[in-house]
Amino acid sequence: MPLIELRGITRWYRNGRVVINALSDIDLAVGKGEFVTIMGPSGSGKSTLLNIIGCLDRPSGGEYILDGMRVERLSDDKLSEIRNRYIGFVFQSFHLLPGLDAMGNAELPLIYRGVGAAERRRRVRQALEAVGLSDRIHHKPSELSGGEQQRVAIARALAQEPLLILADEPTGALDSKTGRTIMELFRKLNAERGITIIMVTHDRDMARYGHRIVKLLDGRIKEEELVG
Amino acid sequence: MRFIFGAQMAWHGVAVNPLRSGLTMLGVAIGVASVISLMGIGEGARLAVVRQFESLGSNVIVIKAHDAKAEFQPEEARELVERVSGLRYASPVTRTNAVMKWRRARGQVDILGVSSDFPQLRDHKLVSGRFFTPWHVEQRSPVAVLGYNIGAGLLGGRSPVGQTVTLNGQTFRIVGVLEKKGEGQGEGIDDKIIIPYTTAMKIAGKRTVDEIWVKAESAKAADLAIAQLGRIYRRKLGLDNKAPVPTGGEQKQGETPGEGPGTGKPVEPKPAPAPETPGKDSTPGLELGKDIITITNLNTLVEEADKANRVMTLLLGGIAAVSLLVGGLGIMNIMLVAVTERTGEIGVRRALGAKRSDLLMQFLLEALYLSGMGAAAGTAAGLWGVGIFNRYGLTAVVSLEAVKVAVLVALGCGLLFGVYPAWTAASVPPVEALRR
Ligand SMILES: Nc1ncnc2c1ncn2[C@@H]1O[C@H](COP(=O)(O)OP(=O)(O)O)[C@@H](O)[C@H]1O
Ligand SMILES: [Mg+2]
Repeated sequence: MPLIELRGITRWYRNGRVVINALSDIDLAVGKGEFVTIMGPSGSGKSTLLNIIGCLDRPSGGEYILDGMRVERLSDDKLSEIRNRYIGFVFQSFHLLPGLDAMGNAELPLIYRGVGAAERRRRVRQALEAVGLSDRIHHKPSELSGGEQQRVAIARALAQEPLLILADEPTGALDSKTGRTIMELFRKLNAERGITIIMVTHDRDMARYGHRIVKLLDGRIKEEELVG
Repeated sequence: MRFIFGAQMAWHGVAVNPLRSGLTMLGVAIGVASVISLMGIGEGARLAVVRQFESLGSNVIVIKAHDAKAEFQPEEARELVERVSGLRYASPVTRTNAVMKWRRARGQVDILGVSSDFPQLRDHKLVSGRFFTPWHVEQRSPVAVLGYNIGAGLLGGRSPVGQTVTLNGQTFRIVGVLEKKGEGQGEGIDDKIIIPYTTAMKIAGKRTVDEIWVKAESAKAADLAIAQLGRIYRRKLGLDNKAPVPTGGEQKQGETPGEGPGTGKPVEPKPAPAPETPGKDSTPGLELGKDIITITNLNTLVEEADKANRVMTLLLGGIAAVSLLVGGLGIMNIMLVAVTERTGEIGVRRALGAKRSDLLMQFLLEALYLSGMGAAAGTAAGLWGVGIFNRYGLTAVVSLEAVKVAVLVALGCGLLFGVYPAWTAASVPPVEALRR
């Protein structure tokens, strides 16, 4: 059974009288431990798809089964819980809280999970170590470089010990050298910890870090390509 | 657990923007401080008036003639105590003045002529010596009891009891000095000289008195006595006693043209054109023209003054509460700004697993912190303000009730005005929030 199964997923937005079909009839399955990249031109629905997979958004139609659960039927609170337990997010603009240091940011999901302080600290320290930021624990985002901020975001996801990491253009705001170190990090996490990764990217070179490339065009899957 | 972190995060929200949070709190603080200080002034004024009336003694009834023909024989005072049940003490009262000579100094003083019942009647103790006796009254003795200020002035604090003063050339022996009542209290008794009414009538050259004070055993007895006194004086003035008896603080016995008091000739009651008592009870059939005799229960005056001043206190509090409300709106304003500004934060928290209730709690607590700290600062400022008022001559008191009300209203404002922004925060869809 795949970890993620999308069947006939659609997502449309109504803008006054105009209906925008951001996603139409998406069928996609992602197995446990896969590293999938999604490519496509701007506005093709990549983010919309990732948000639905991440339970941040609900599809307008179709079925979404995550680890055997029918997601579209779940309550808002239950979705919060699923995001908290299963899914780590990495965004293009990092989305760290400016007032908190690396430790404070990375422990947020565990706070909402109700993990005790000592355990939280231990796991966050480990995660920051795994992304090579042991010496930046008490730095605020404004005191870190872009690459370091993104690594804090990855540490935040790692501390959750997620089944799934969703990354929406994680290297979009970084230079290519820093981008590659982030991609190496993803590859390592995927290979060593078996974390499933779904990543959106513009960049063909970055896309080749995954096992499989899903290409979107106008809200539909145009083709899938296995990376050789 | 979640709550503790909600509280911490909310605190973080307050601390991250100290200037803005400070200004918001200031709005609430000003509201709370003005409620406390203005209600303090109102309450101070109320207590001052109440104290003033209470300084005249409790359960005291004042019977006053406003027409020379209606004036009383001094003996009537004692008779009233025997005739009216529930009355304990009585005193005819004569007010006059005289030139006082003390050693080389001379000056005009107010004289109060009363009976030996005075200390019990007015609940007034002596600091030294003793009050004059019924025998002194009977003998028209030249004895004097000094009001506190006069007594303290003569020998620079040493008791003047046993010394003599001259009033209008007659030598008086000082037998006692009254306790201090305080400025403006007890009709300025501290600056008066009290002598037997018989002696005072001689100085004033009068055979009758225009005022009688009686004291009832209890507040209830005073109410009953008022009714009975009303009947007595109505009959005495030749008015019908079948008319309904008023129970209010002040009874006014109508004038009967051509009829002096005590002529004994019964007169038909005149129809009343309109009830004219400004107070509560009208006495139909009694009022006609001006009042000849008024019977006043001081207890009732205290109650009325108390009531009027309570209304004023509430009014002041109400005005101040408006500024408190404005402070509350400030909280709402700033929380709405915070929610708009921090949609990104809201989105991140939601993505990481915060439930709507977590955000609701976080923003609500933030509003409560602002209002709570504002209320604390405002209470401190209000108490300080009351102190300042007092230093500059306004009597203000800290009313615990005002503090309680102000703080509760402030917190209520925080809650009330925090709910909407917090609800907005909790309702932002995570995707929307992350898009910013
Ligand atoms: N909230 C929204 N309201 C209206 N249209 C939207 C909204 N979100 C996305 N869209 C539209 O859906 C389409 C897909 O958007 P998106 O998934 O962000 O594309 P991508 O991430 O591939 O650039 C776009 O045409 C976009 O304008
Ligand atoms: Mg996108």
